[in-house]
Amino acid sequence: MTRSAPPLAGPADTRRGRSIPARALERLRRPWPDSRAGRTLGAVSLLACLCVAAMVTFVAVRAWPIFAHDGLGWLGPGGSLSTQIETMLNASTDAPASAYRLHVWPILYGTLLITTLAVLLAVPLAVLSAVFIVELAPGPLRRAMVPVVRLLASVPSVIYGQIGILVLVPFVGNHLITTSQRVALESRVQLTGAGLGVAVVILTVMIAPIMVALVCEALGAVPSAWREGAAALGVNRLRAIRALTLRAIRPAIVAATVLATARALGEAIMISMVSGSVFFAPAPTDGVAFFYEPLRTLASTIIDNHEGIGSPALRSALYALALLLLFSAFVLSVAGYLIKLPLRRYGVRA
Amino acid sequence: MHLSPRSAASLVVATIVVGAAPAIASAVSTITISGATASYPLVQQLAHKYSKLNRNQVAFRIAQGGAQVGINDVAAGRVTIGDVSRDPLPSDPSGLDFYPIAKYAICVVTNKSNPLSTLSEAQIQAIFTGRYHEWSQVPGAGVTGPIDLISRTSTAGVLTNFKTLFLGNKSVAKTAAEEPSEGLLAQQVANDPHAIGFLSNYRADQGTVNAVGFNGVACNRANAASGQYSAVARFYEVTRGPATGAAAKFISWIDTSRAARKIISTQWIPNK
Repeated sequence: MTRSAPPLAGPADTRRGRSIPARALERLRRPWPDSRAGRTLGAVSLLACLCVAAMVTFVAVRAWPIFAHDGLGWLGPGGSLSTQIETMLNASTDAPASAYRLHVWPILYGTLLITTLAVLLAVPLAVLSAVFIVELAPGPLRRAMVPVVRLLASVPSVIYGQIGILVLVPFVGNHLITTSQRVALESRVQLTGAGLGVAVVILTVMIAPIMVALVCEALGAVPSAWREGAAALGVNRLRAIRALTLRAIRPAIVAATVLATARALGEAIMISMVSGSVFFAPAPTDGVAFFYEPLRTLASTIIDNHEGIGSPALRSALYALALLLLFSAFVLSVAGYLIKLPLRRYGVRA
Repeated sequence: MHLSPRSAASLVVATIVVGAAPAIASAVSTITISGATASYPLVQQLAHKYSKLNRNQVAFRIAQGGAQVGINDVAAGRVTIGDVSRDPLPSDPSGLDFYPIAKYAICVVTNKSNPLSTLSEAQIQAIFTGRYHEWSQVPGAGVTGPIDLISRTSTAGVLTNFKTLFLGNKSVAKTAAEEPSEGLLAQQVANDPHAIGFLSNYRADQGTVNAVGFNGVACNRANAASGQYSAVARFYEVTRGPATGAAAKFISWIDTSRAARKIISTQWIPNK
């Protein structure tokens, strides 16, 4: 260990009387040599990498029986997912191989559907409101809006879920869904109000503020000389925003979208509360009723079935879903990086 | 004394370990419990009272997790007692002893705007297995339109009991919503005039939903206690092999003492 730190100024005997932890703390407070600081901080960040690696390995090992049963076949469609989960649960401790049969397509599709729709809604909403806040809003309004958006971004998702199940779900169920829609679908699925539409709307509200906050910061980083240059060339404000500012912050928009998508993918509690809790794949061919149809996502399925984690087969299945979520988070960040590469040249980094 | 930061840190850790040791070494025997969320309120009250009566002799650590968690934990020896809200199943690990501690009724519930007073077993089966789709097929229904089935996730002990007591072990129709908890099921039924579901009697009593009678008998604690209401299930304390030591004393206290009987009678039904 390096002991090269110079002693602090002051007579040594005044420190002698202090307790041992206090003296240790004092040693830590002294300026560290570069080599020691580098090693210590390096160890901390290495620890983060180790944690990620250990977690992925652990989840993968626990999920292995699902792969062992049918390779990657469990990602596809086949049979009723709720029957499969019930079989897994009842198989208890000495589960036969057939208990590991799992086909997660409905929830994979549900996850993609909810996430895609929410992100598609949130991106234009967030970019437009960020442009308004930074470029067009009068000063006092801007100073009020920025903290409000930050606050919205940090609201815990269970609160959104609560509002969803107490306000939006009964509203949709009692006022928007018509009896003829219910009757037309009653043999396949029941429409109670909880479903795709409510989940997407709430998820959009949840992820948009994060994007607004990030895009606002990127807009603030666009050099004002660029705007002045545009104004000097006689370009009006809206055109300058379109042609210059928005182009410059494209990497930031991508980064914000990736973050928002990650939050949407992993959202469990809110979706478990408002999405109807049925293993069903909403069919766009059902017209408007499509938006009322219930579904489950990967994360909400884990939440809904965590009580059965004592059963070995179901535990493997839940770990397999977790692995899928980890994998999609990985794909997402790689995709975000690749998209940003060609945009970086004239862009503002975020 | 020259002390490096590293040795200071180990000193702190050592102090914590030494300080905690007496608590572990004392004569208090600790009963660990995990399992059913449905029986948690009852077991927690019983444990609280019991440790008050036996001050400094017994301590409890109670976790929830669901009936299946209780079964698995106690079978693996992770806890002293597993709480279970359903009858023993053939798939349960062998070598477990089930001690019934209390009974509770299961009520079929509907939305308040659909104040059905009673349903027969045949009607309930027709509704929950998906043979009836419309409320107009159910005489006495206060609403018209499709029936919305609200069920529980397959891990729920209450669902297992519901299938045994009402459906003759048939499965609930696949279109049913599967709520992860009794609270969410109650909320969905309260939201939706077309909904029908099932809850334990102390949840159904809370006034947010309409409790439907079964075969002409109203679903409430009094009728279940008198034996008129037949859809009654049990809570169990489960041990690996016959209960011994502190766990055995606790279980026999629940079974025999007047204090325990008083707690059980507030919302549940004593075993005998």
